[in-house]
Amino acid sequence: MLSKSQARLFFLIGTVGFSLLFLFLTVDTMRQVPKQTNQDQITEAVKRGKRIWEHNYCMGCHTIFGEGAYYAPELTKVIDRRGEAWIRVFLKDPQAMYPGQRKMTNYDFSEGQIDDLIAYFDWIGKVDLNGFPPKPVKRLVQAASSNSGSSFATTTVDQPAIYGQLCTACHSLQGSGGNVGPALDGVGNRFDEEYLGKWLKDPQAVIAGTAMPKLPLSDSDISALTAFLSGLK
Amino acid sequence: MKFKSQKVAYWFFASALVLLSLQIIYGFIMGFAHMGYDGWHAVTPFNTSRAVHTNLLVVWLLTGFFGATYFIIPEEADRELFSVKLAYIQLVTLMIVGVTAVVGFHFNWWEGRKILEIPRPLDFFVVANVLLFIFNIGMTVLKGKRFTTTGIVLFMGLFSAALLYLPGMIDFDNQTIDSYFRWWVVHLWVEGVWELIMGAILAYLLIKLTGVDREVIEKWLYVIVGLTFLSGILGTGHHYYYIGAPKYWLAIGGIFSAMEPLAFLAMALFGLFMYRRSERNHPNVIAMLWTIGSAVMSFVGAGFLGFAHTLPQVNLWTHGTLVTAMHGHLSFWGAYAMIVFAIMTYAMPLMTGRKLWNNRMGLYAFWLSNLGMVAMTGAFAVAGIAQVYLERRLGLDFLAVQKEIEPHFLGLILAATLFSVGITMYLINFYNFGLPKDEMVGKGDKLEAASGFSGE
Repeated sequence: MLSKSQARLFFLIGTVGFSLLFLFLTVDTMRQVPKQTNQDQITEAVKRGKRIWEHNYCMGCHTIFGEGAYYAPELTKVIDRRGEAWIRVFLKDPQAMYPGQRKMTNYDFSEGQIDDLIAYFDWIGKVDLNGFPPKPVKRLVQAASSNSGSSFATTTVDQPAIYGQLCTACHSLQGSGGNVGPALDGVGNRFDEEYLGKWLKDPQAVIAGTAMPKLPLSDSDISALTAFLSGLK
Repeated sequence: MKFKSQKVAYWFFASALVLLSLQIIYGFIMGFAHMGYDGWHAVTPFNTSRAVHTNLLVVWLLTGFFGATYFIIPEEADRELFSVKLAYIQLVTLMIVGVTAVVGFHFNWWEGRKILEIPRPLDFFVVANVLLFIFNIGMTVLKGKRFTTTGIVLFMGLFSAALLYLPGMIDFDNQTIDSYFRWWVVHLWVEGVWELIMGAILAYLLIKLTGVDREVIEKWLYVIVGLTFLSGILGTGHHYYYIGAPKYWLAIGGIFSAMEPLAFLAMALFGLFMYRRSERNHPNVIAMLWTIGSAVMSFVGAGFLGFAHTLPQVNLWTHGTLVTAMHGHLSFWGAYAMIVFAIMTYAMPLMTGRKLWNNRMGLYAFWLSNLGMVAMTGAFAVAGIAQVYLERRLGLDFLAVQKEIEPHFLGLILAATLFSVGITMYLINFYNFGLPKDEMVGKGDKLEAASGFSGE
């Protein structure tokens, strides 16, 4: 049977051996990380963005690289998912974008700080994370459209890029998108192009007290969106 | 209690319990926020509550470990503490740093890195504080009449914990490297040196409670801490899967963290076998319950539930979801909170002379808090699995999924209420013991003998 001194030897050799192996792997990791994380692309703006991220303890609600708290969305691929335009609008007044929903503190970021944060998220999103976050296996939208068959009318106009950056965060179409605002399926049956144009320009002017925020849309954005939305029948 | 200086442990235990109570309050605030009732947002937004909750956890557990050490080391070294005054200074400064940090969190003053939120200037105080502690304990051990394995392992654990705090204080511009070294602190603490501390306290309690030969218990202590490091050091790799580190960590982390439950299994079996080998029944039944309970629950929470999402193929989906919170709650409770409760429950009668060691209040405290914590873990598990499936597998929007899982947080809050009732009963029992008495010095054996027990 094992004696106490053998047990001690097992402990000492195991601990020292594996500590050395761990140090060796750490050296190798430090050698590889610059390439895997595009370290040459860490600009001053990215560094400032990281400091803003830490200064406000964003990790206390959000996750990045899957690390943090689980109260607010994972932000690793936020640039891909939401786009710069949406992030800009959102950070100006987070609660206005999600009225009555889970709250984010308004940190009164300046334009420059928002630039830095976007630079940081942009760099984060390009790091090779060995396949994280995983792509959903089965988007619900596919399930929905295959179930509904031809009863779902399709639109005649192509979806403008701005729709995917801003609108989809709160509104859903064929089951895909946010659920903060109403679904936009068949919205063309309910409102015409003129009404939608006025609505997008200033929601408050059409229905005072509406939860829909006024978004920074150009006239060409609005006409592209109204053409698209009024075609949803 | 053999030495007068062991009394300092009482004040560490009492402080730890106060911090634990505060931790629970902030836990409730977060639970309600998850349910959609974040009425406290203006006072303590989620990230503040989160920082307070986790930091208080770390500070109260450390305070408990310090208290345990001040109780155990004089007996193991067979002499009075080197300096009682230093011990009190350490306690007071630790509390000041802790409270300053908690207040600071409410004013956006922090370092902003998960678990290491304490602002940098306070980090230096923490290091100084721990060095003070190590000096005091180290001098006691050095001047002591005997070196026991239990004493040495406990000291090594605390010393390494202090050393490993340092990598967390280096600044990096690269998020990946930042995260890499942050885990040196967090992982190597909780899955490395803290297990050393836990193992040593467990061994001490088993020696005292079961009367099994010290040589036998300490031999297995080496085997267990050996297994811990064998698996735990390279097991750090499970934090390196998806943070931008090389791909080989998926294999290394996967293999070694799959072995981590072995150390906990060994700990559980160790506790159970030693309990069965005990020929005499120690009168402090509740301390025995906490001790064996800790050995078993650390296997369930840290070992089994950790294994449940440690494999890279699974972790790809569960990483960064509430599944982590599920594992976190039961593992900290089983491995660390319960061992602190065990040593407190063991020490209190010996320090105060009151034989509250098999009373109803103490028993209910044990069962209710454990039942509550297991139920909380269940609520987190269901919420976490639903989140993984809806958000990660089906690609639903984050907030839409959070709405879906709100009901599970009602379950969480109910379970947490049960847990809190248990903890409250423990606090009442603790209060009923009263203060440590000088007359008790050297009388511990008599107290136990009066109930028909003769220990080491």
